[in-house]
Amino acid sequence: MLVFFGFILAPIAVAVIVSFDTKSFPGFPISGFTLRWYWRVWEYKPFIDSLVVSIELALGSAALACLIAMPGALALARSRSWSSDVISTFLLAPLSMPMIVLGLAFLYYLAALGFGISFLSLLISHTVISIPYIARTVAGVYRGLGPDYEEAASILGADRLRTFWYVTLPLVRPGIFAGSMFATLISFDNLPLSYFFGSATTNTLPVVMLSYLEYQFDPSVAAVSTIQMLLALLALLVVDRVYGLRHMSAPT
Amino acid sequence: MATLTTIGGASAVRGSPSARRRFRPGKLPMWWVIPPALYLIVFFIFPLFDNALRSIHPAGAAAQWSLAYYVKLLSDAYYLNVIGQTLLLSVGVTAICIVLGYPAAYFLVRHSGRWAGLVIFLLIAPQLTSIIMRTFGWRVLFARLGLVNTALLDLGLIDKPLPLLQGPSSVVIGLVHVFVPFMVLSIASVLQGIDRRLEESARILGASKLQAFLRVTLPLSLDGIGTGSILVFMLTNGSFVTLLLLGGGSVVTMPVLIYQQFSLTQDIGLASAMGNLLLAIAVGCLYLQLRLIKRRGVRA
Repeated sequence: MLVFFGFILAPIAVAVIVSFDTKSFPGFPISGFTLRWYWRVWEYKPFIDSLVVSIELALGSAALACLIAMPGALALARSRSWSSDVISTFLLAPLSMPMIVLGLAFLYYLAALGFGISFLSLLISHTVISIPYIARTVAGVYRGLGPDYEEAASILGADRLRTFWYVTLPLVRPGIFAGSMFATLISFDNLPLSYFFGSATTNTLPVVMLSYLEYQFDPSVAAVSTIQMLLALLALLVVDRVYGLRHMSAPT
Repeated sequence: MATLTTIGGASAVRGSPSARRRFRPGKLPMWWVIPPALYLIVFFIFPLFDNALRSIHPAGAAAQWSLAYYVKLLSDAYYLNVIGQTLLLSVGVTAICIVLGYPAAYFLVRHSGRWAGLVIFLLIAPQLTSIIMRTFGWRVLFARLGLVNTALLDLGLIDKPLPLLQGPSSVVIGLVHVFVPFMVLSIASVLQGIDRRLEESARILGASKLQAFLRVTLPLSLDGIGTGSILVFMLTNGSFVTLLLLGGGSVVTMPVLIYQQFSLTQDIGLASAMGNLLLAIAVGCLYLQLRLIKRRGVRA
């Protein structure tokens, strides 16, 4: 079993360790310890630019997907009809499509619509694949709660809007957070979609890393990846903190 | 974990016969599904449809409706080979994932006890790291002078370094590494639902540990294997980053070909056609998965 987990963690551990290597050609075990590859990441403009684009895109598409998917997820979570089954399958469908096909299709479609290769196109495409994640977690959380809280609120005199805003929304917050986190991470790491929209201003980090790897094979990629991993872990910790606090104050 | 699930709910909403309450608290109006449904129709269905159109009616001066691309794809030996390689690779990776994943799932469900949370975290955590990072790590490990080769040389198992990166083995290992967590979680979720007392009863009635497993547990967990397999199969079909970075071009699958068509030859019609083929396979897998879920009778 340990072997199994060693297998799972091995390449990641190796990549992290190699990022500190003094040799320019990545090898394991490493011959020395240096931070020079991290400097290189900072100096190599495309890395930093694309990191910014990736972060903006990930957060933006997750936010947009939340806005769009949440109403639908909430409506579907408590519904049992055949039609809602069909619709919910439809909402989850983008998860299962091979993304390279989606990327190609998006490129030409959005170009025909006039969006071209722009941040907006990236945003639109990434939102499409983020919607299933948000829908799934929000619906899951909402379905798990009973209607008791909302009924209590309406008994106490709240109208529909107030019930929704002051009762429903806060209760599904964990679902929103979890879904957004997944969506952000998926978008951040996405290559098949982002590849088709690459340009100097719209390259995302994975795209830049890929083209870097095609010409050079040095530890800078390892350094960038390690930074990315640390960012993801940091985000996880932050969400855990925030959610943890919320959970304690939620009326459960 | 990433299996297709219906998100319809099972809670009974208590409606009030009283006319004073004009809305059913706890149940939201169905027209609320319009935003996501509409968005997906415009930005998901339409592009795919457009893609399909392009493969049978490519833009250009001499444009006409024809299935030429599909004919080419399905009759040319090279393309058939690519399709075959894709399917073969997917089947192979799935099989290995089953072999590796089942024991891990069994361990997770039956023996991990308080470590269960950690185990699940370790399975999911790699998904948080960039696929490029993981593939990079494998590249370093499999290099001629990499850890794997030096270990094998030191152990005396080989005389000279294996060109692992130039062949399909690195691709297979890389893919298994990425997808085995999905398999483990699929199987584990089904295993968890199997009552341990069934196994115990078999043992009490005289079966050996192995017999109890083979005749009781394994058949009951087949659904988990099935769902996991379809999932891994679908994911391997569509994967392309791993194939680009490992294997040095020895394995050409459909996504790789699409990538090449797009970046090198710009034959978009062909790329679209190939994409549609891939899509058709994905839809087929989705259908199988739905049948499996319906059969289980579980809505979760």
